[in-house]
Amino acid sequence: MLLPGIIWLFFFNLLPMYGILMAFKDFNPGIGLWKSEWIGLENFKYMFELDDSKQIFRNTIVIALLKMIGNLVVPLVFALMLNEVKNRFFTRSVQTIVYLPHFLSWVIIAGIMLDMFSISGPVNQLLTAIGIKPIMFFADAGIFPALVVGSDIWKEFGFAAIIYFAALTSISPELYEAAAIDGASQFRRLISITLPSILPVAVLLGTLSMGNILNAGFDQIFNLYNPLVYSTGDIIDTWVYRAGLIDMQYGLATAVGLLKSIVGFILIAFSYGLAYRFANYRIF
Amino acid sequence: MKKRLFTFLSLLLVIASLSACVGKDTSSTESKESKNTSEENIDPLGSFSEPVEISIGRGIDPNYKFDGEDTPENNVYTRWLEDQYNIVTKHEWEATAGEDYEQKVSLSIASNDIPDAMVVNETQLKQMIKAGQLADLTDVYDKYGAERLKDIYDSNPGLLDNVTYDGKLYALPETTLPSAPLTWIRQDWLDELGLEAPKTLEDLEKIAQAFIDNKMGGENTLGIVGTSQGGALSSTFLTSGDHFLNFSSLFFANNAYPGIWVKDKDGKAVYGSTTPETKKTLEMMREWYAKGILDQEMALRKSAQEVLVSGKAGIFFGPWWSPYNLEDSIKNDPKANWRPYAGPTDSSGKINSNETTGSTYIVVSKDYEHPEAVIKMTNIHVSEKDASYEEVVADKQMTSQEIPLFMVMGHGDQLEYAVTSTQKHLAGELKLEDIDKVNYGFAYDLAEHVKNVKKEPYDDYNIQYWDRAGDEAFFTHLYAHLNGGSAFINADINYVRSIATAKTKTMELKWNNLKKLEDETFLKIIMGNAPISDFDKFVEKWNEQGGEQITKEVNELK
Repeated sequence: MLLPGIIWLFFFNLLPMYGILMAFKDFNPGIGLWKSEWIGLENFKYMFELDDSKQIFRNTIVIALLKMIGNLVVPLVFALMLNEVKNRFFTRSVQTIVYLPHFLSWVIIAGIMLDMFSISGPVNQLLTAIGIKPIMFFADAGIFPALVVGSDIWKEFGFAAIIYFAALTSISPELYEAAAIDGASQFRRLISITLPSILPVAVLLGTLSMGNILNAGFDQIFNLYNPLVYSTGDIIDTWVYRAGLIDMQYGLATAVGLLKSIVGFILIAFSYGLAYRFANYRIF
Repeated sequence: MKKRLFTFLSLLLVIASLSACVGKDTSSTESKESKNTSEENIDPLGSFSEPVEISIGRGIDPNYKFDGEDTPENNVYTRWLEDQYNIVTKHEWEATAGEDYEQKVSLSIASNDIPDAMVVNETQLKQMIKAGQLADLTDVYDKYGAERLKDIYDSNPGLLDNVTYDGKLYALPETTLPSAPLTWIRQDWLDELGLEAPKTLEDLEKIAQAFIDNKMGGENTLGIVGTSQGGALSSTFLTSGDHFLNFSSLFFANNAYPGIWVKDKDGKAVYGSTTPETKKTLEMMREWYAKGILDQEMALRKSAQEVLVSGKAGIFFGPWWSPYNLEDSIKNDPKANWRPYAGPTDSSGKINSNETTGSTYIVVSKDYEHPEAVIKMTNIHVSEKDASYEEVVADKQMTSQEIPLFMVMGHGDQLEYAVTSTQKHLAGELKLEDIDKVNYGFAYDLAEHVKNVKKEPYDDYNIQYWDRAGDEAFFTHLYAHLNGGSAFINADINYVRSIATAKTKTMELKWNNLKKLEDETFLKIIMGNAPISDFDKFVEKWNEQGGEQITKEVNELK
């Protein structure tokens, strides 16, 4: 049963590791990676000289952390709230509607967002209607991370809530009945029964997402950003893309990407340890 | 289980290595054969005796409408190439022209999987030379280059030297027609408001303000439209081929030359973006932006051209050929009377511009067996089309969409000749037969068709004296040449040349970072996200992060 997984891992994850060598070489596509000249740690040295590297690491972590927190809290609160609504037709339709954006690609959503938040777009029209001066949302480095995080949460919260809905349905109704007989209020039941029952799921999801912390969302940011918001919006992946593919600085881009992988690896090991300890989650 | 996995993997390895051997074998025999045939046939414009296939990577415009069932790969022109010259063009891949195409080319280079021939930019060319991916074209160019092709390159001295390394010719560069940014204004709006055409920056500012105040383009009229997402503020010494929809003009009018290497008062090379003149222009643009004169969404728009098409704006900067991009604007509003003005002028009344350099190149893979086919295709592209062409293509003027490996190629005075000969023909001073059809085929085409679209008076290029429907295929060509081209060739322009026209050694590694720093700072200053004092910080940082070393290298170039 393990075989397909191993083959997949070998071809898609282990074999490409060879490319890491590029970070230590002056890569020349004409003669191939192996024959290209070794240049040692030069790329890493230049990387640490660049202002960009501090900036992109900081941006990546800030955006990813905000997304992590938002994507944990919002679906949970949403699921709890919807769970209290007793009209089944209503809850079903709301569920369906809110998870739909998950299936749209960032290209589409970004296009809609850029129009919505443009200077003559609906959002600014609303603002002018209540007497606020129009805001250049996508030109403001201060606002950009909020837009990124906000749109990501908006896109994903409905889908993420599905797990909580599943966890909620597995709570035994007898607990609620017993509590009701004992005279517990609806809020008391939420605090004492519902929350503790789905807390393990929340903790598990939280710790698992930690391994993903350096993936702040290439598709999304790539489709939304522009030079004006590089200072807060440029993340490792978008920077590596520009340096590597557009500017053809292969070695430098690989070096930065490699550093990201190393930090990512440490975080995954760390979060696995946490998941093991607090949620009893194990792979092996 | 483990054993089976191992067998499977080793089997894969065997297959892979076998196929590699097979590939090598066939290619070496083929190249021997091709050598034999090439020695027999050295007519630059002759047909190949056997069909010769060439695979190219192609940038296409998804909005371009081909006739009938034609495609970029199979159209009137490619079929004619095949029938007449036995050159069969195949597309290895296609990508949307522009950024997508550049990415695809870069990807091809990085993975060492390049088509037989394609059109690349300067950075890509350098990378390919360094990687040893390119064919040495010296011999085939000598042998197969038609006289006219050689004439063209000889009339543009230095062009071939730029792509020759260690005595080997690695690419065919495009020739640049001279160019400078003009100010394009909606004359019908000017007339309606009773305003004069602009000469200075102050005039321009007033006109833009008047357009906005009088809502000439509707409720949200924009002032001066400029660069869109990913677009540059000004043309640079590496990609200076076009001035379309950027703000070069504003800089030039302040004697500032961002993006190119100029001489300071001691005669030393200095990077134009770091000069006080550039700072002054940025300060002015910052004010203009705050007042709403510059498009509030500059640098954010997906396409600045869209604003022109929708009729919301009446001013932009662009070269003489800008009307090629105004077709839809005129279609949407037949009264849209776009007129070009040379300028704005600097304080001493001069019109400045930087001199453009070519920035695209045809390159041939070193693994391609018939590099002469590429030379021939270029010969054919620049030569007077023969009778079979007229028969097949008839009156339609082929564009970069039909012609594979299209580049701008022509004598330095091509534009001037085309404009003046057409004007003279209109005035009745020059007969059609007297136009130099051999050397200026397109000028002949223009003159031949001009009376279909140009109404009297012949020397008035306002839009009401044109008949677009008269000859739709030629309207845009003629409109661009007469309206834009005549304004350009009559203008007295003070050209400033960049000292460096290619990357120096330190630039290879550090230029991208410096350029990013520049773009970011300049945009932020103009759009009010950073104080003007950030300019001095930028200059300091720029020098620190490699600019100083690069300036030294550029000074050594002289």
